[in-house]
Amino acid sequence: MKDDVFAKVENQYVNYGTRARELQKQGQKLIGYICSFVPLEIITAAGCVPFRVRGDIREPITQGDTLMETIVCPFIRSCFDLSVKGKYDFLSGMVIPHGCDSMVRSYSTWNYSLNLPYFHFVNTPSVVKESSFEFFEEELKTYKKSLERFTGRTVTDADLAKAIRLHNENRNKARALYDFKKSNPPMISGVELAKVLTVGSSLPVTESNALFDEVIAAVSRRKEPPLKMGPRILVDGPCVDNIELMKIVEDSGASVVADTTCNGTRDALPRTDEGGDPIKALARRYLDKINCPKTYRDNKAGTFEGDAEARFGDIGAYAREFKADGAILYVYKFCDPFGFEVPARKAYYESIKVPLLHIEDLYSAGTIGQLKTRIQAFLEMIG
Amino acid sequence: MQCVLGIDMGSSCTKGVLMAGTEVLAQVDSLSGGDFKLTADRIREELLARAHVSARSISHTVATGFGSKSVSYADSMVTDISCHAKGVIHLCPTVRTAVDAGDLYSKAFRMDEKGNLQNFLLSGKCAGGSARILKVVAKVLQLNVEELGDLALKSTKKVEFNTGCAVFAESEAVSRIAEGVSKEDLLAGIHRALAAQLNALAVRLGIEKDYALVGGGARNAGLVKALEAVSGFLIVVPSHPHMTAALGAALIAAEAGRP
Repeated sequence: MKDDVFAKVENQYVNYGTRARELQKQGQKLIGYICSFVPLEIITAAGCVPFRVRGDIREPITQGDTLMETIVCPFIRSCFDLSVKGKYDFLSGMVIPHGCDSMVRSYSTWNYSLNLPYFHFVNTPSVVKESSFEFFEEELKTYKKSLERFTGRTVTDADLAKAIRLHNENRNKARALYDFKKSNPPMISGVELAKVLTVGSSLPVTESNALFDEVIAAVSRRKEPPLKMGPRILVDGPCVDNIELMKIVEDSGASVVADTTCNGTRDALPRTDEGGDPIKALARRYLDKINCPKTYRDNKAGTFEGDAEARFGDIGAYAREFKADGAILYVYKFCDPFGFEVPARKAYYESIKVPLLHIEDLYSAGTIGQLKTRIQAFLEMIG
Repeated sequence: MQCVLGIDMGSSCTKGVLMAGTEVLAQVDSLSGGDFKLTADRIREELLARAHVSARSISHTVATGFGSKSVSYADSMVTDISCHAKGVIHLCPTVRTAVDAGDLYSKAFRMDEKGNLQNFLLSGKCAGGSARILKVVAKVLQLNVEELGDLALKSTKKVEFNTGCAVFAESEAVSRIAEGVSKEDLLAGIHRALAAQLNALAVRLGIEKDYALVGGGARNAGLVKALEAVSGFLIVVPSHPHMTAALGAALIAAEAGRP
């Protein structure tokens, strides 16, 4: 029997944004984002609802490409295409950070083409150094002010502290969900968790918290794992917001036990420190605790191994914690931050002795057949 | 007599091998056509007829290749990469690195002495680096694809052909013809371009001797020679190189049937 909560998740995953549309009709302001570097706590503290804008690999990019060049990465082009086609017309605004070049260079296209009441660009530093934090704190204050102007209400430190607490609760619950993957076979499949997290990112944080609680309760009641015993795979990459990749892995007899993806652990796990200056804590959380290839990290050790540990240590930590037998480095064509790093990442995987399959893909359902061949051959190899 | 069947449904050709023990009873290949299921059934019938055995004597069938799902009578499916590795080692035990020039995409793979896959790489998602380029150019030159290799070997002048993409290849071929380049020289250039792409895949994996070319492209002497030229290695070509994945599938079927 299918758990009710999973039927609900499935419904909201397929009809992504239905709850957001309802909220908009009730007068709520929804603010879209496409990258892990957007501090959601500030949106929540301003009384708005953060909403993760998704792409769709089954929807051909058409209208979007009349406004944006194809050198922009296909994930962003798909998100943009759906936006100009009106899928997210319930949004009151969008926040785009300095994530990758594709985001910076396409910001004005987003802004002018969608013509939403609120648009803001967060200048996220690309280097993690002490001076970057000072800069980023000021940048976050500007971002907060722009939301205050838009909503006409002041965001106090108490508002921020409350939002931080709510989002931290969300991360604790996400952590509990990930912990279900530690058993062998995992008690929650990669596809299930990806759908839950995706739906969670389309809801107000309080509703997302309630949903995660329901899922945790449902999974705790399970007697049998949803998948058979098979190779345990870590998915490493940017925003993989369509479950097809994980579905191929799990349909081929393996299970996705961990990830580093934006809509996975990168968004869902790092917590913000509570108790101190909320802006300082948010700057720390978003700049230091989110590990994305877009940011350069100081090589404090001064060695090749030290550099690799600073940049990729989280991969090794997840691989050990979730006992991964192999990893898939999944990168979109024209994804600069990940693309540039591929050789160094490969070298890191070799050093931690985790077999790796590197896939460069388009953001399109047309490549599913070829993905299958590669993934099945990889599983045959490590299995 | 207990037999096993390996069937490799490629995007262009379907290959079948019927074996008993380590002996090949029959092998068949034919175009895959527009109805994969029908082709798969026809291949099995023909194999059985040639070997004079009945369908009931087949203990296990392994299907592989792009259309493996269309083989309704298959007991299991294995990717063509693992099958190639098994097939190649069976025929040429010293091979450790191989490239396969396929119609849909090309691949390079490394294997151990037992034919276990060690690592692999596939060419890109488009037709870049696939042997499709030869068909495209054959059409431009109004030749049969089988003639291309031998013609390329008659080349007397080196012509650079820069396109690895089968779609752009057509326009580059036409431009070269317009420049007055002979078809032999043009073909030699195209074979070099394809060989360079195949070799680049193998180099990224790291080439360990012996180095083999398998798949339909290995029947093209011009391509074998071009690969030797770009890689600096002697290229091993198994007998019936287009059948190695089907043979490997049959060998895996035999392993599966063993208690």
